[in-house]
Amino acid sequence: MPALLELQRSFARALQADAAPASLEALQIAGCNVPERLGVYAATRLATLIRTLTLAFPAVQRLVGADFFEAAAREFISQWPPECACLNDYGAQFPSFLQEFAPAARLPYLPDVALLEWAVSRALHAGDATGLDLNRLAALGSAELAEVRFVAHPSISLLQLRSPADAIWRAILEQDAAAMAAIDLAEYPIFLLIERTAGGIQVRRLSPGPWHLTQRLCAGEPLHAALEGSRAEGPAQEPVRDEIDALLADHLLCGRFIDVMSARGARHT
Amino acid sequence: MSLEAYQAGPIPAAAGIGLRFMHHEFVLETQPAIAWFEVHAENYFGGGKLRRTLETVRRDYPLSLHGVGLSLGSAVGLDASHLARLAELSNSIEPALVSEHLSWSLTDGHYLADLLPLPMTEEALDVVCRHVQQAQEALKRPILIENPSTYLQFQHSVIPEWEFLRELVARSGCGILCDVNNIFVSASNHGWDPLRYLEALPAAAVGEIHLAGHAERVLEDGRVLRIDEHGSRVAPAVWALYEQALRRYGPRPTLIEWDTCIPSFEVLLDEAGAADRRLRALGSASHARAA
Repeated sequence: MPALLELQRSFARALQADAAPASLEALQIAGCNVPERLGVYAATRLATLIRTLTLAFPAVQRLVGADFFEAAAREFISQWPPECACLNDYGAQFPSFLQEFAPAARLPYLPDVALLEWAVSRALHAGDATGLDLNRLAALGSAELAEVRFVAHPSISLLQLRSPADAIWRAILEQDAAAMAAIDLAEYPIFLLIERTAGGIQVRRLSPGPWHLTQRLCAGEPLHAALEGSRAEGPAQEPVRDEIDALLADHLLCGRFIDVMSARGARHT
Repeated sequence: MSLEAYQAGPIPAAAGIGLRFMHHEFVLETQPAIAWFEVHAENYFGGGKLRRTLETVRRDYPLSLHGVGLSLGSAVGLDASHLARLAELSNSIEPALVSEHLSWSLTDGHYLADLLPLPMTEEALDVVCRHVQQAQEALKRPILIENPSTYLQFQHSVIPEWEFLRELVARSGCGILCDVNNIFVSASNHGWDPLRYLEALPAAAVGEIHLAGHAERVLEDGRVLRIDEHGSRVAPAVWALYEQALRRYGPRPTLIEWDTCIPSFEVLLDEAGAADRRLRALGSASHARAA
Protein backbone atom coordinates (compact mmCIF):
# COMPACT_ATOMS: atom_id res chain seq x y z
CA MET A 1 0.00 0.00 0.00
CA PRO A 2 1.59 3.31 -1.04
CA ALA A 3 1.84 5.97 1.66
CA LEU A 4 -0.37 9.01 0.97
CA LEU A 5 2.56 11.25 0.04
CA GLU A 6 3.94 8.74 -2.49
CA LEU A 7 0.48 8.20 -3.95
CA GLN A 8 -0.07 11.93 -4.39
CA ARG A 9 3.35 12.36 -6.03
CA SER A 10 2.61 9.55 -8.50
CA PHE A 11 -0.86 10.94 -9.16
CA ALA A 12 0.60 14.40 -9.83
CA ARG A 13 3.13 12.95 -12.29
CA ALA A 14 0.38 11.01 -14.05
CA LEU A 15 -1.81 14.12 -14.39
CA GLN A 16 0.94 16.44 -15.55
CA ALA A 17 2.46 14.21 -18.19
CA ASP A 18 1.62 11.25 -20.34
CA ALA A 19 2.05 8.71 -17.59
CA ALA A 20 4.15 5.62 -18.11
CA PRO A 21 2.31 2.37 -17.24
CA ALA A 22 4.68 1.82 -14.30
CA SER A 23 3.57 5.00 -12.59
CA LEU A 24 -0.10 4.12 -13.16
CA GLU A 25 0.60 0.78 -11.47
CA ALA A 26 1.90 2.62 -8.40
CA LEU A 27 -1.45 4.38 -8.03
CA GLN A 28 -3.20 1.06 -7.27
CA ILE A 29 -6.41 2.20 -8.90
CA ALA A 30 -9.20 -0.36 -8.69
CA GLY A 31 -11.12 -1.69 -11.67
CA CYS A 32 -10.76 -0.90 -15.32
CA ASN A 33 -10.38 2.03 -17.74
CA VAL A 34 -7.69 3.54 -15.51
CA PRO A 35 -6.21 5.90 -18.15
CA GLU A 36 -9.72 7.08 -19.15
CA ARG A 37 -10.71 7.71 -15.53
CA LEU A 38 -7.47 9.53 -14.76
CA GLY A 39 -8.03 11.42 -17.99
CA VAL A 40 -11.19 13.01 -16.55
CA TYR A 41 -9.09 14.67 -13.84
CA ALA A 42 -6.35 15.64 -16.31
CA ALA A 43 -8.94 17.20 -18.64
CA THR A 44 -10.57 19.20 -15.82
CA ARG A 45 -7.17 20.42 -14.70
CA LEU A 46 -6.22 21.55 -18.21
CA ALA A 47 -9.61 23.20 -18.85
CA THR A 48 -9.41 25.12 -15.56
CA LEU A 49 -5.88 26.36 -16.24
CA ILE A 50 -6.62 27.31 -19.86
CA ARG A 51 -9.72 29.22 -18.69
CA THR A 52 -7.59 30.98 -16.05
CA LEU A 53 -5.12 32.13 -18.71
CA THR A 54 -7.95 33.18 -21.06
CA LEU A 55 -9.43 35.38 -18.32
CA ALA A 56 -6.06 36.99 -17.60
CA PHE A 57 -5.00 37.46 -21.26
CA PRO A 58 -8.16 38.21 -23.30
CA ALA A 59 -6.44 40.60 -25.73
CA VAL A 60 -3.66 38.09 -26.46
CA GLN A 61 -6.35 35.50 -27.16
CA ARG A 62 -8.15 37.80 -29.60
CA LEU A 63 -4.91 38.72 -31.35
CA VAL A 64 -3.94 35.10 -32.04
CA GLY A 65 -7.35 33.38 -32.12
CA ALA A 66 -8.81 30.77 -29.75
CA ASP A 67 -7.06 27.71 -31.25
CA PHE A 68 -3.60 29.27 -31.31
CA PHE A 69 -4.12 30.58 -27.76
CA GLU A 70 -5.14 27.17 -26.48
CA ALA A 71 -2.08 25.53 -28.05
CA ALA A 72 0.19 28.18 -26.51
CA ALA A 73 -1.58 27.84 -23.14
CA ARG A 74 -1.11 24.03 -23.15
CA GLU A 75 2.60 24.42 -23.84
CA PHE A 76 2.88 27.10 -21.14
CA ILE A 77 1.03 24.93 -18.58
CA SER A 78 3.42 22.03 -19.19
CA GLN A 79 6.45 24.33 -18.80
CA TRP A 80 5.11 26.41 -15.92
CA PRO A 81 2.53 24.42 -13.92
CA PRO A 82 0.89 26.44 -11.11
CA GLU A 83 2.57 26.27 -7.71
CA CYS A 84 -0.28 27.40 -5.50
CA ALA A 85 -4.06 27.28 -5.38
CA CYS A 86 -4.67 30.99 -5.84
CA LEU A 87 -5.11 30.97 -9.62
CA ASN A 88 -5.37 34.78 -9.74
CA ASP A 89 -1.58 34.62 -9.30
CA TYR A 90 -1.11 32.16 -12.18
CA GLY A 91 0.34 33.37 -15.47
CA ALA A 92 3.18 35.72 -14.43
CA GLN A 93 5.62 33.93 -16.78
CA PHE A 94 3.23 33.84 -19.75
CA PRO A 95 4.61 37.06 -21.33
CA SER A 96 8.22 35.81 -21.25
CA PHE A 97 7.04 32.40 -22.46
CA LEU A 98 5.40 34.09 -25.48
CA GLN A 99 8.67 35.93 -26.15
CA GLU A 100 10.36 32.53 -26.66
CA PHE A 101 7.36 30.79 -28.29
CA ALA A 102 8.49 30.35 -31.90
CA PRO A 103 5.00 30.18 -33.50
CA ALA A 104 4.28 33.68 -32.10
CA ALA A 105 7.45 35.25 -33.52
CA ARG A 106 5.54 36.95 -36.37
CA LEU A 107 3.73 39.11 -33.76
CA PRO A 108 6.65 40.91 -32.07
CA TYR A 109 4.23 43.06 -30.01
CA LEU A 110 2.44 40.02 -28.51
CA PRO A 111 4.72 39.68 -25.41
CA ASP A 112 4.24 43.40 -24.73
CA VAL A 113 0.44 43.08 -24.84
CA ALA A 114 0.77 40.08 -22.49
CA LEU A 115 2.94 42.11 -20.09
CA LEU A 116 0.30 44.83 -20.07
CA GLU A 117 -2.50 42.32 -19.45
CA TRP A 118 -0.57 40.73 -16.59
CA ALA A 119 -0.15 44.20 -15.03
CA VAL A 120 -3.89 44.82 -15.46
CA SER A 121 -4.67 41.45 -13.85
CA ARG A 122 -2.34 42.23 -10.93
CA ALA A 123 -4.02 45.62 -10.50
CA LEU A 124 -7.43 43.92 -10.48
CA HIS A 125 -6.51 41.30 -7.86
CA ALA A 126 -4.06 43.21 -5.62
CA GLY A 127 -4.99 43.59 -1.98
CA ASP A 128 -6.44 46.82 -0.63
CA ALA A 129 -4.05 49.35 0.91
CA THR A 130 -4.57 52.86 2.28
CA GLY A 131 -2.56 55.77 0.91
CA LEU A 132 0.21 57.24 3.08
CA ASP A 133 -0.91 59.70 5.74
CA LEU A 134 0.78 62.94 4.62
CA ASN A 135 1.22 64.05 8.25
CA ARG A 136 3.88 61.36 8.57
CA LEU A 137 5.93 63.04 5.83
CA ALA A 138 5.30 66.52 7.26
CA ALA A 139 6.80 65.37 10.57
CA LEU A 140 10.17 64.51 8.95
CA GLY A 141 13.19 66.86 8.78
CA SER A 142 14.74 67.57 5.36
CA ALA A 143 17.70 65.20 5.98
CA GLU A 144 15.33 62.38 6.90
CA LEU A 145 13.09 63.25 3.95
CA ALA A 146 15.97 62.86 1.49
CA GLU A 147 16.59 59.34 2.80
CA VAL A 148 13.03 58.02 2.96
CA ARG A 149 11.94 55.09 0.86
CA PHE A 150 8.37 54.68 -0.23
CA VAL A 151 6.33 51.48 -0.39
CA ALA A 152 4.23 51.44 -3.55
CA HIS A 153 0.56 50.42 -3.61
CA PRO A 154 0.40 46.70 -4.57
CA SER A 155 -1.80 47.43 -7.60
CA ILE A 156 0.91 49.53 -9.33
CA SER A 157 3.05 48.30 -12.25
CA LEU A 158 5.46 50.33 -14.37
CA LEU A 159 6.20 49.01 -17.84
CA GLN A 160 8.60 50.18 -20.52
CA LEU A 161 7.50 48.53 -23.77
CA ARG A 162 8.95 48.48 -27.27
CA SER A 163 5.59 48.50 -29.00
CA PRO A 164 2.39 50.55 -28.54
CA ALA A 165 0.83 47.67 -26.59
CA ASP A 166 -1.67 49.96 -24.84
CA ALA A 167 -3.18 51.12 -28.14
CA ILE A 168 -3.24 47.55 -29.49
CA TRP A 169 -4.81 46.29 -26.23
CA ARG A 170 -7.60 48.90 -26.29
CA ALA A 171 -8.31 48.50 -30.00
CA ILE A 172 -8.55 44.72 -29.89
CA LEU A 173 -10.72 44.60 -26.74
CA GLU A 174 -13.03 47.30 -28.10
CA GLN A 175 -12.96 45.65 -31.54
CA ASP A 176 -12.10 49.04 -33.01
CA ALA A 177 -10.69 48.25 -36.47
CA ALA A 178 -10.08 51.93 -37.32
CA ALA A 179 -7.99 52.45 -34.16
CA MET A 180 -6.09 49.25 -34.91
CA ALA A 181 -5.34 50.37 -38.47
CA ALA A 182 -4.06 53.74 -37.21
CA ILE A 183 -1.43 52.22 -34.90
CA ASP A 184 2.15 53.01 -35.93
CA LEU A 185 4.46 50.27 -34.69
CA ALA A 186 7.58 52.35 -35.39
CA GLU A 187 7.32 55.43 -33.19
CA TYR A 188 7.91 53.90 -29.76
CA PRO A 189 9.01 52.82 -26.85
CA ILE A 190 6.21 53.70 -24.45
CA PHE A 191 6.28 54.19 -20.68
CA LEU A 192 3.20 52.99 -18.79
CA LEU A 193 1.79 53.32 -15.31
CA ILE A 194 -0.89 50.71 -14.53
CA GLU A 195 -2.87 51.00 -11.29
CA ARG A 196 -6.23 50.48 -9.66
CA THR A 197 -8.12 53.59 -8.61
CA ALA A 198 -11.62 54.05 -7.21
CA GLY A 199 -12.76 54.40 -10.83
CA GLY A 200 -11.27 51.09 -11.96
CA ILE A 201 -8.05 49.95 -13.65
CA GLN A 202 -6.06 52.80 -15.20
CA VAL A 203 -3.44 52.39 -17.94
CA ARG A 204 -1.61 55.70 -18.57
CA ARG A 205 1.40 56.77 -20.58
CA LEU A 206 4.03 58.84 -18.74
CA SER A 207 6.94 60.81 -20.22
CA PRO A 208 10.26 58.96 -19.86
CA GLY A 209 11.62 61.22 -17.08
CA PRO A 210 8.67 60.97 -14.68
CA TRP A 211 8.37 57.24 -15.49
CA HIS A 212 12.01 56.54 -14.54
CA LEU A 213 11.73 58.55 -11.33
CA THR A 214 8.45 56.84 -10.41
CA GLN A 215 9.95 53.46 -11.16
CA ARG A 216 12.93 54.12 -8.88
CA LEU A 217 10.66 55.35 -6.08
CA CYS A 218 8.31 52.38 -6.41
CA ALA A 219 11.32 50.03 -6.36
CA GLY A 220 12.17 51.48 -2.93
CA GLU A 221 15.13 53.72 -3.76
CA PRO A 222 15.58 56.55 -1.23
CA LEU A 223 14.08 59.81 -2.51
CA HIS A 224 17.43 61.64 -2.93
CA ALA A 225 19.10 58.69 -4.66
CA ALA A 226 16.12 58.25 -6.98
CA LEU A 227 16.31 61.93 -8.00
CA GLU A 228 20.08 61.68 -8.53
CA GLY A 229 19.69 58.44 -10.42
CA SER A 230 17.11 59.73 -12.86
CA ARG A 231 19.25 62.89 -13.35
CA ALA A 232 22.27 60.69 -14.20
CA GLU A 233 20.24 58.93 -16.88
CA GLY A 234 20.66 62.05 -19.04
CA PRO A 235 18.81 65.18 -19.96
CA ALA A 236 16.19 63.36 -22.05
CA GLN A 237 14.96 61.50 -19.01
CA GLU A 238 15.46 64.20 -16.39
CA PRO A 239 12.21 65.71 -15.24
CA VAL A 240 12.39 69.45 -14.63
CA ARG A 241 11.95 70.74 -11.08
CA ASP A 242 8.29 71.77 -11.44
CA GLU A 243 7.51 68.47 -13.06
CA ILE A 244 9.12 66.60 -10.14
CA ASP A 245 7.10 68.53 -7.56
CA ALA A 246 3.87 67.98 -9.47
CA LEU A 247 4.69 64.29 -9.96
CA LEU A 248 5.42 63.67 -6.26
CA ALA A 249 2.31 65.60 -5.22
CA ASP A 250 0.22 63.55 -7.64
CA HIS A 251 1.67 60.25 -6.39
CA LEU A 252 1.02 61.19 -2.76
CA LEU A 253 -2.49 62.55 -3.35
CA CYS A 254 -3.48 59.52 -5.43
CA GLY A 255 -2.31 57.16 -2.69
CA ARG A 256 0.35 55.48 -4.88
CA PHE A 257 2.59 55.24 -1.80
CA ILE A 258 1.18 53.39 1.18
CA ASP A 259 4.09 53.47 3.60
CA VAL A 260 7.39 55.19 4.22
CA MET A 261 10.59 53.68 5.64
CA SER A 262 13.90 55.15 6.81
CA ALA A 263 17.09 54.38 4.86
CA ARG A 264 17.80 51.47 7.20
CA GLY A 265 14.40 49.95 6.59
CA ALA A 266 12.73 51.02 9.86
CA ARG A 267 9.19 52.23 9.50
CA HIS A 268 8.59 55.95 10.12
CA THR A 269 5.47 56.22 12.24
CA MET B 1 -17.93 48.98 6.34
CA SER B 2 -20.06 49.40 9.47
CA LEU B 3 -21.09 46.58 11.77
CA GLU B 4 -24.76 47.12 10.92
CA ALA B 5 -23.88 46.20 7.36
CA TYR B 6 -23.27 42.64 8.56
CA GLN B 7 -26.66 42.12 10.16
CA ALA B 8 -27.83 39.79 7.39
CA GLY B 9 -28.68 36.63 9.33
CA PRO B 10 -27.61 33.00 9.08
CA ILE B 11 -28.35 31.01 5.94
CA PRO B 12 -32.07 30.08 5.86
CA ALA B 13 -33.26 26.59 4.92
CA ALA B 14 -34.09 27.82 1.42
CA ALA B 15 -32.52 27.74 -2.03
CA GLY B 16 -29.44 29.87 -2.74
CA ILE B 17 -27.36 30.43 -5.88
CA GLY B 18 -23.62 30.16 -6.49
CA LEU B 19 -22.69 33.71 -7.55
CA ARG B 20 -20.22 33.95 -10.45
CA PHE B 21 -18.54 37.01 -12.02
CA MET B 22 -20.84 37.20 -15.05
CA HIS B 23 -23.85 37.87 -12.78
CA HIS B 24 -22.24 40.46 -10.48
CA GLU B 25 -23.65 43.46 -12.29
CA PHE B 26 -27.12 41.95 -12.59
CA VAL B 27 -27.25 41.14 -8.87
CA LEU B 28 -25.95 44.55 -7.77
CA GLU B 29 -28.39 46.38 -10.05
CA THR B 30 -31.56 44.33 -9.59
CA GLN B 31 -31.18 42.72 -6.13
CA PRO B 32 -33.00 39.57 -7.26
CA ALA B 33 -35.26 37.71 -4.84
CA ILE B 34 -33.04 34.83 -3.74
CA ALA B 35 -32.59 33.69 -0.14
CA TRP B 36 -28.77 33.61 -0.11
CA PHE B 37 -25.56 33.41 -2.16
CA GLU B 38 -22.41 31.34 -2.07
CA VAL B 39 -19.09 32.36 -3.66
CA HIS B 40 -15.77 30.64 -4.29
CA ALA B 41 -13.52 32.15 -1.63
CA GLU B 42 -10.34 32.22 -3.76
CA ASN B 43 -11.90 34.63 -6.27
CA TYR B 44 -12.06 37.34 -3.59
CA PHE B 45 -8.64 37.06 -1.94
CA GLY B 46 -7.66 40.45 -3.41
CA GLY B 47 -9.22 43.87 -2.85
CA GLY B 48 -10.72 46.51 -5.10
CA LYS B 49 -13.96 46.18 -7.01
CA LEU B 50 -14.31 42.41 -6.49
CA ARG B 51 -14.03 42.76 -2.70
CA ARG B 52 -16.44 45.75 -2.72
CA THR B 53 -18.93 43.66 -4.70
CA LEU B 54 -18.68 40.83 -2.16
CA GLU B 55 -19.15 43.30 0.71
CA THR B 56 -22.31 44.65 -0.93
CA VAL B 57 -23.68 41.14 -1.52
CA ARG B 58 -22.83 40.30 2.11
CA ARG B 59 -24.74 43.40 3.25
CA ASP B 60 -27.84 42.50 1.25
CA TYR B 61 -27.94 38.68 1.48
CA PRO B 62 -26.79 35.87 3.76
CA LEU B 63 -23.49 34.62 2.32
CA SER B 64 -21.52 31.38 2.35
CA LEU B 65 -17.78 31.16 1.50
CA HIS B 66 -16.89 27.98 -0.38
CA GLY B 67 -13.17 27.26 -0.57
CA VAL B 68 -11.81 25.21 -3.48
CA GLY B 69 -8.05 25.45 -2.93
CA LEU B 70 -7.19 24.53 0.66
CA SER B 71 -6.36 20.92 -0.27
CA LEU B 72 -7.29 19.41 3.11
CA GLY B 73 -6.13 15.95 2.01
CA SER B 74 -2.56 16.88 1.06
CA ALA B 75 0.08 14.75 2.75
CA VAL B 76 2.55 17.66 2.44
CA GLY B 77 0.44 19.78 4.81
CA LEU B 78 -1.66 22.89 4.33
CA ASP B 79 -0.32 25.93 2.48
CA ALA B 80 -0.04 28.38 5.39
CA SER B 81 -0.30 31.45 3.19
CA HIS B 82 -3.45 30.13 1.49
CA LEU B 83 -5.04 29.44 4.89
CA ALA B 84 -4.03 32.92 6.09
CA ARG B 85 -5.68 34.52 3.05
CA LEU B 86 -8.85 32.49 3.60
CA ALA B 87 -8.87 33.52 7.28
CA GLU B 88 -8.40 37.19 6.34
CA LEU B 89 -11.36 37.04 3.94
CA SER B 90 -13.53 35.14 6.42
CA ASN B 91 -12.70 37.54 9.29
CA SER B 92 -13.42 40.56 7.14
CA ILE B 93 -16.61 39.32 5.43
CA GLU B 94 -18.01 37.30 8.38
CA PRO B 95 -19.94 34.84 6.21
CA ALA B 96 -22.71 32.70 7.70
CA LEU B 97 -20.94 29.50 6.54
CA VAL B 98 -17.47 28.44 5.41
CA SER B 99 -16.99 25.16 3.57
CA GLU B 100 -14.25 23.11 1.85
CA HIS B 101 -13.85 19.69 0.22
CA LEU B 102 -12.88 16.15 1.10
CA SER B 103 -10.13 16.06 -1.55
CA TRP B 104 -6.59 17.11 -2.31
CA SER B 105 -5.04 19.35 -5.01
CA LEU B 106 -1.51 20.14 -3.93
CA THR B 107 1.74 18.25 -3.65
CA ASP B 108 5.38 19.38 -3.57
CA GLY B 109 4.65 22.86 -4.90
CA HIS B 110 2.34 21.66 -7.69
CA TYR B 111 -1.28 22.81 -7.62
CA LEU B 112 -3.27 20.34 -9.74
CA ALA B 113 -6.35 22.55 -10.23
CA ASP B 114 -8.95 19.87 -9.54
CA LEU B 115 -10.55 18.23 -6.50
CA LEU B 116 -8.67 14.92 -6.50
CA PRO B 117 -9.74 11.65 -4.82
CA LEU B 118 -8.21 10.39 -1.59
CA PRO B 119 -7.59 6.75 -0.72
CA MET B 120 -10.03 5.96 2.07
CA THR B 121 -7.39 4.87 4.61
CA GLU B 122 -6.64 5.54 8.28
CA GLU B 123 -3.63 7.59 7.19
CA ALA B 124 -5.77 9.83 4.95
CA LEU B 125 -8.37 10.16 7.72
CA ASP B 126 -5.66 11.32 10.15
CA VAL B 127 -4.33 13.82 7.61
CA VAL B 128 -7.76 15.28 6.82
CA CYS B 129 -8.78 15.45 10.52
CA ARG B 130 -5.55 17.27 11.38
CA HIS B 131 -6.00 19.77 8.55
CA VAL B 132 -9.69 20.41 9.24
CA GLN B 133 -8.79 21.15 12.87
CA GLN B 134 -5.95 23.43 11.73
CA ALA B 135 -8.32 25.29 9.39
CA GLN B 136 -11.01 25.61 12.06
CA GLU B 137 -8.46 27.05 14.49
CA ALA B 138 -7.25 29.59 11.91
CA LEU B 139 -10.82 30.55 10.95
CA LYS B 140 -12.02 30.45 14.57
CA ARG B 141 -15.18 28.58 13.51
CA PRO B 142 -16.32 25.12 12.47
CA ILE B 143 -16.41 24.48 8.73
CA LEU B 144 -18.51 22.21 6.52
CA ILE B 145 -16.78 19.50 4.46
CA GLU B 146 -18.24 18.51 1.10
CA ASN B 147 -18.34 14.92 -0.15
CA PRO B 148 -16.59 14.65 -3.56
CA SER B 149 -17.55 13.36 -6.99
CA THR B 150 -15.01 10.67 -7.82
CA TYR B 151 -14.14 8.80 -11.02
CA LEU B 152 -11.87 6.14 -9.59
CA GLN B 153 -11.22 4.20 -6.38
CA PHE B 154 -7.97 2.94 -4.90
CA GLN B 155 -7.38 -0.75 -4.25
CA HIS B 156 -6.13 -0.01 -0.74
CA SER B 157 -9.20 2.00 0.34
CA VAL B 158 -10.64 0.27 3.40
CA ILE B 159 -13.17 2.80 4.77
CA PRO B 160 -16.45 3.50 2.92
CA GLU B 161 -16.58 7.21 2.04
CA TRP B 162 -19.70 7.81 4.19
CA GLU B 163 -17.98 6.27 7.22
CA PHE B 164 -14.88 8.36 6.53
CA LEU B 165 -17.10 11.47 6.69
CA ARG B 166 -18.87 10.29 9.87
CA GLU B 167 -15.52 9.74 11.53
CA LEU B 168 -14.23 13.12 10.31
CA VAL B 169 -17.26 14.83 11.89
CA ALA B 170 -16.82 12.94 15.16
CA ARG B 171 -13.09 13.66 15.44
CA SER B 172 -12.85 17.23 14.15
CA GLY B 173 -16.23 18.74 15.02
CA CYS B 174 -16.77 19.86 11.44
CA GLY B 175 -20.15 19.72 9.70
CA ILE B 176 -21.08 18.21 6.35
CA LEU B 177 -21.91 19.91 3.10
CA CYS B 178 -23.94 17.14 1.50
CA ASP B 179 -23.58 17.41 -2.28
CA VAL B 180 -26.48 15.27 -3.48
CA ASN B 181 -25.30 15.38 -7.10
CA ASN B 182 -21.86 14.17 -5.99
CA ILE B 183 -23.41 11.26 -4.10
CA PHE B 184 -25.41 10.36 -7.20
CA VAL B 185 -22.36 10.65 -9.50
CA SER B 186 -19.99 8.67 -7.24
CA ALA B 187 -22.60 6.02 -6.41
CA SER B 188 -23.29 5.54 -10.11
CA ASN B 189 -19.57 5.41 -11.00
CA HIS B 190 -18.66 2.92 -8.27
CA GLY B 191 -21.86 0.88 -7.85
CA TRP B 192 -22.70 2.24 -4.38
CA ASP B 193 -26.23 2.56 -3.02
CA PRO B 194 -26.90 6.34 -2.85
CA LEU B 195 -29.64 5.91 -0.23
CA ARG B 196 -27.26 4.00 2.03
CA TYR B 197 -24.80 6.90 1.67
CA LEU B 198 -27.51 9.45 2.62
CA GLU B 199 -28.64 7.27 5.53
CA ALA B 200 -25.12 6.93 6.91
CA LEU B 201 -24.36 10.65 7.17
CA PRO B 202 -25.16 12.11 10.60
CA ALA B 203 -28.26 14.26 9.95
CA ALA B 204 -27.48 16.80 12.66
CA ALA B 205 -24.09 17.55 11.04
CA VAL B 206 -25.52 18.31 7.59
CA GLY B 207 -25.45 22.11 7.43
CA GLU B 208 -25.95 22.61 3.70
CA ILE B 209 -26.87 20.76 0.52
CA HIS B 210 -25.42 21.27 -2.98
CA LEU B 211 -27.23 20.54 -6.24
CA ALA B 212 -25.78 20.74 -9.76
CA GLY B 213 -25.95 19.18 -13.18
CA HIS B 214 -23.62 16.41 -14.33
CA ALA B 215 -22.57 14.94 -17.66
CA GLU B 216 -22.35 11.34 -18.87
CA ARG B 217 -19.48 9.86 -20.83
CA VAL B 218 -19.44 6.42 -22.42
CA LEU B 219 -16.09 4.73 -21.77
CA GLU B 220 -14.33 2.49 -24.29
CA ASP B 221 -15.81 -0.64 -22.72
CA GLY B 222 -19.33 0.78 -22.97
CA ARG B 223 -19.68 1.70 -19.29
CA VAL B 224 -21.12 5.11 -18.47
CA LEU B 225 -19.01 7.43 -16.33
CA ARG B 226 -20.89 10.36 -14.78
CA ILE B 227 -18.90 13.57 -14.52
CA ASP B 228 -19.63 16.40 -12.09
CA GLU B 229 -19.53 19.17 -14.69
CA HIS B 230 -21.79 21.88 -13.16
CA GLY B 231 -22.81 22.78 -16.70
CA SER B 232 -26.51 21.84 -16.93
CA ARG B 233 -29.77 21.61 -14.98
CA VAL B 234 -30.07 19.23 -12.03
CA ALA B 235 -30.92 15.74 -13.35
CA PRO B 236 -34.37 14.26 -12.50
CA ALA B 237 -32.75 11.37 -10.61
CA VAL B 238 -30.77 13.88 -8.51
CA TRP B 239 -33.96 15.80 -7.67
CA ALA B 240 -35.45 12.50 -6.49
CA LEU B 241 -32.38 11.82 -4.33
CA TYR B 242 -32.60 15.40 -2.98
CA GLU B 243 -36.18 14.70 -1.82
CA GLN B 244 -34.86 11.63 0.02
CA ALA B 245 -32.12 13.76 1.59
CA LEU B 246 -34.67 16.34 2.81
CA ARG B 247 -36.80 13.57 4.33
CA ARG B 248 -33.81 12.28 6.27
CA TYR B 249 -32.10 15.55 7.25
CA GLY B 250 -35.03 17.98 7.36
CA PRO B 251 -35.01 21.32 5.51
CA ARG B 252 -31.46 22.55 4.81
CA PRO B 253 -29.96 25.52 2.94
CA THR B 254 -29.68 24.25 -0.64
CA LEU B 255 -27.34 25.68 -3.25
CA ILE B 256 -27.71 25.62 -7.03
CA GLU B 257 -24.19 25.43 -8.54
CA TRP B 258 -23.41 26.14 -12.21
CA ASP B 259 -19.81 26.71 -13.31
CA THR B 260 -19.41 25.87 -17.00
CA CYS B 261 -21.57 27.30 -19.80
CA ILE B 262 -23.20 29.50 -17.14
CA PRO B 263 -26.76 30.44 -18.21
CA SER B 264 -28.75 33.62 -17.56
CA PHE B 265 -29.63 34.39 -13.96
CA GLU B 266 -33.28 33.55 -14.72
CA VAL B 267 -32.36 29.92 -15.39
CA LEU B 268 -30.57 29.76 -12.02
CA LEU B 269 -33.63 31.32 -10.33
CA ASP B 270 -35.77 28.68 -12.02
CA GLU B 271 -33.59 25.88 -10.61
CA ALA B 272 -33.63 27.54 -7.19
CA GLY B 273 -37.45 27.67 -7.44
CA ALA B 274 -37.52 23.93 -8.08
CA ALA B 275 -35.49 23.35 -4.89
CA ASP B 276 -37.68 25.77 -2.91
CA ARG B 277 -40.85 23.93 -3.99
CA ARG B 278 -39.42 20.69 -2.57
CA LEU B 279 -38.36 22.43 0.65
CA ARG B 280 -41.88 23.87 1.04
CA ALA B 281 -43.52 20.52 0.24
CA LEU B 282 -41.43 18.99 3.03
CA GLY B 283 -42.52 21.80 5.38
CA SER B 284 -46.24 21.23 4.69
CA ALA B 285 -45.81 17.45 4.91
CA SER B 286 -44.28 17.75 8.39
CA HIS B 287 -47.06 20.22 9.36
CA ALA B 288 -49.62 17.66 8.19
CA ARG B 289 -47.94 14.99 10.30
CA ALA B 290 -47.86 17.29 13.34
CA ALA B 291 -51.60 18.05 12.92
